[in-house]
Amino acid sequence: MAYTMKTEGVEEIKKMLDTLGGNAQHTAAKALYNGAGIMADEMEKQAGSIKTAPFHYAVFIQREPSPEEKAVVQGAVGIAKFRKDGNNVQTSVGYGSSGYAEIAGKKKPIPLIANAINSGTSFMRKQPFVRKAVNRASSRASAAIRESIEKDVDTITKQA
Amino acid sequence: MPAEYESLVGALKLTDIPFAEYGWKTRPEGTYGTVQLDMESAGMDADGGKKDRSWEASVDVFFPKLADRQSVISTVEETIEAVCGDSWELNSIQYETSTGLFHVEWVCRLFGTVEAVPEEAGDA
Repeated sequence: MAYTMKTEGVEEIKKMLDTLGGNAQHTAAKALYNGAGIMADEMEKQAGSIKTAPFHYAVFIQREPSPEEKAVVQGAVGIAKFRKDGNNVQTSVGYGSSGYAEIAGKKKPIPLIANAINSGTSFMRKQPFVRKAVNRASSRASAAIRESIEKDVDTITKQA
Repeated sequence: MPAEYESLVGALKLTDIPFAEYGWKTRPEGTYGTVQLDMESAGMDADGGKKDRSWEASVDVFFPKLADRQSVISTVEETIEAVCGDSWELNSIQYETSTGLFHVEWVCRLFGTVEAVPEEAGDA
């Protein structure tokens, strides 16, 4: 006894998969940009809620960040240049390459100021605004990434 | 305050390391630590219910001698584990060049109901 099986539309599916593969990196980068934007906005918002006190130099006192330090940190949140590795795309949100700022007459690296506020130091009280932003925005950012990919895949499959 | 947070503060204050909540006004000499309730980390109930809640607290220890690291770290981690079980992580290890202090930071996840939220912990 012999069975004959026939499949139709294989060429169309192959064409659709080829189109999807060719657009994967662009689709991923676009989705990641949407997600990173949500995370950066939340980080900036949380940096806005940092409590401050006027700067005064005292060695043995654990102080609050100064209003100047808060302003610098709030304005310097950035999205790093996208790194491509095959079909994977990666980025970071934060203060990786945000440069220097002049605080109380001294030039200081902005990532160092942000870290001092976020993790605390022996001379600055900690206010973990980055962790708070990640907690609040990670599910929204993931949803935005997923939504963007689904939308693009829909468009591509309809075109193919 | 979440009951688990109060237990954590109580347990840390019983150790040899001097601990203060929400930082020190004047920095002590030698090894010392701080503990604080940072934020509400996630809603545990559906539909915005707030019966069961999850919180994040952080424990920071500063010590001047690298040779003390083993005893300091095991004292703190054993204390955290006794209260929080497995729901904690080592968040960072840093060195302050200006003061010569080593800084170790842990994040603990605490569970439980709470009525009064401390102002410093902020909202969810």
